[in-house]
Amino acid sequence: MRLLIVEDDPKVAEFVARGLRAERFAVDVSYDGLDGLNFASTYEYDLAILDLMLPTLSGTDLLQRIRRRKPDLPILVLTARDATEEKVQQFEAGADDYLTKPFDFAELLVRVKALLRRGPVNRASVLRVADLEIDRLTMSVRRAGRRIDLTAKEYALLEYLAANPGRVFSRTMILEHVWDQSFEGATNIVDVYVRHLRSKVDDAFEPKLIHTVRGVGYSVRAPEDE
Amino acid sequence: MNTRSLGFRLIGWYAIVLTAVFTFVGAGIYLELGRYLETNLRDALGRRADQVGRMLLAAPSPLDEAAIANEIRSNLLPEPNNRFVHVTRPDGTLLYQSGLPADRSFDPEAVDAAEREQPSPPRTDTREITTSQGVSMLVVSRSVAMPNGTYTIEVGNSLEQIRLVSDYVLILLIVAVPVLIGVSAGGGYLLIKRALKSVERIARSAERITHHNLSERLPIVHTGDELEALAMSVNRMIARLDDAFQSSRRFLADVSHELRTPLTVIKGELQDLVRRRNLSEELRERTGSTLEEVERLTHIVEGLLAVARLDTGEGQREWLRFDLAELATTTADQMKLLAEDQSVTLICDTGHPVEVEGDRARLKQVIVNLLDNAIKYTSEGGSIRLRVRAQDRAVLEVSDTGIGIPSDELARVFDRFFRVDKARSKNVEGTGLGLAIVKSICTAHGAEIEAESTLGSGSCFRVKLPLAAASDAA
Repeated sequence: MRLLIVEDDPKVAEFVARGLRAERFAVDVSYDGLDGLNFASTYEYDLAILDLMLPTLSGTDLLQRIRRRKPDLPILVLTARDATEEKVQQFEAGADDYLTKPFDFAELLVRVKALLRRGPVNRASVLRVADLEIDRLTMSVRRAGRRIDLTAKEYALLEYLAANPGRVFSRTMILEHVWDQSFEGATNIVDVYVRHLRSKVDDAFEPKLIHTVRGVGYSVRAPEDE
Repeated sequence: MNTRSLGFRLIGWYAIVLTAVFTFVGAGIYLELGRYLETNLRDALGRRADQVGRMLLAAPSPLDEAAIANEIRSNLLPEPNNRFVHVTRPDGTLLYQSGLPADRSFDPEAVDAAEREQPSPPRTDTREITTSQGVSMLVVSRSVAMPNGTYTIEVGNSLEQIRLVSDYVLILLIVAVPVLIGVSAGGGYLLIKRALKSVERIARSAERITHHNLSERLPIVHTGDELEALAMSVNRMIARLDDAFQSSRRFLADVSHELRTPLTVIKGELQDLVRRRNLSEELRERTGSTLEEVERLTHIVEGLLAVARLDTGEGQREWLRFDLAELATTTADQMKLLAEDQSVTLICDTGHPVEVEGDRARLKQVIVNLLDNAIKYTSEGGSIRLRVRAQDRAVLEVSDTGIGIPSDELARVFDRFFRVDKARSKNVEGTGLGLAIVKSICTAHGAEIEAESTLGSGSCFRVKLPLAAASDAA
């Protein structure tokens, strides 16, 4: 899979490219709009990541021009501005998704993979992590064969984390997925729920499956995923 | 009526001055008039008495008394002139006395009772006497020395006429002065009220202008007077304020935007570092701790941007009609665990649906932030009550049994980054923007928010939101 990044800030471009390469993507980086347009029209990409404020050609213009030439190329827009009207404008200009700086790399990865239809959509009806079993149809959870009663939110949280074992989810991602944006910034609701979830899922069992990655977020993984 | 209003004070002052002037002038007129009339009468009486004296002196000796009496009667005409004339011989016997005056203002017979007290001649004097019938009279006496002794001439007039005129003037003044003052004060008041109407209009318009509608201006009426000038200077002041506010908001928004890119790099690089497997535990901890601060910084930047955007009225989106009571119930439900985690009881007290119009997500944020605050500042065993009621407006109330806010700090809790005395804040983490965002959201919704608190026993935050207009379907 080959990705194009058009981002005028070299440091942002660098860590995004590095992270994506670590996920085994081939990544090209361009630092201005015209150059980016060249890349996009010369090579076949599976996805483009565009910053909105670019020298020589504005992100919006670039977006429209790429769209005209490559109607099927998935485009993810990065921006430091996030006024709603702008978002609408970007979607109208042909963006497939939108991410506001500063973003979590994990989130970027999720979106990229979603656009490439390579996951993270895990559609299995039963999720298994070590001896933890989550039945998505009956919304029931078992560990080592024992049934665990969870509240609706606890279930949603566990399912979200367990759908991609080993992946670290930031609090922002968890909030937006399991709750909504209203909780952002104010509360430690994620930490409280994770603590409750732990007491039910992990306290009485070994090995522990719910992990905290300090400063980043939470993940569910079996020891062998290490 | 407002007794401190400019109009009232101005009119009050003029009424007092007018009253003083009228009273002073009126009293002067009244007293002067009486004195003037009396002096005039005295002079006239004096001249008549002298005339009689001259008649006596010119008469041949020995005196032809009948001729004298005739001469007095025909020259002075005492009765038609309502005069009293009285001449006594040296031995005190009566030589002549006038008859009943034409206007019957006095009875000559009643006058002479006073004559007995006549002191010894010669004398020239003026007396005020009262007849035995109670009539006040002015009497002028002259003594005329003749070879056979001293004759006394008395000429008098009733004072009733003068009294009558004086009294009439007095009544006129008493009636006319208050009427005059009333009319001029009333007229003046109407005039001033009209002038002050524009001042009131300016004040009312100025009152409506807050930092949310600084683009509005006062209406200018081109009267060319001082009030037009005042309105224009106020407008220029609003324009300057508008500039200042806009540049401060732009600054806030620009700073927040500019901080986003470096934050992205810091966050991205540190997260990349944490993902490395070969990182030592210590480095992982430190990087994680740094990332937590980056996260906090990110929330502050986002919060500032949210406030700036709300204050400029930018991003007013998705205004819907919805049930605030239902929103409160579901939000409280979602946050129940947070309260339980702190051993605090969260009671949600909502009844009938309360329809409001607004940005549901934003108003949810108001509830979340208020509840979050209440939970943070309420100690174990305390309770928090969330109430939604419909009065003349939709009222949402979050009250707690927490540590409370000192009254002198209550007004500032909505300021950005304001924290009630850190010693009391139980080591609570946060961006310091929660209530500022709440306030901005409320203002953007035309809602009022107020805070009450008793130190040590709890606080209460109350949001008053306009109710949605009665639905057309109903």
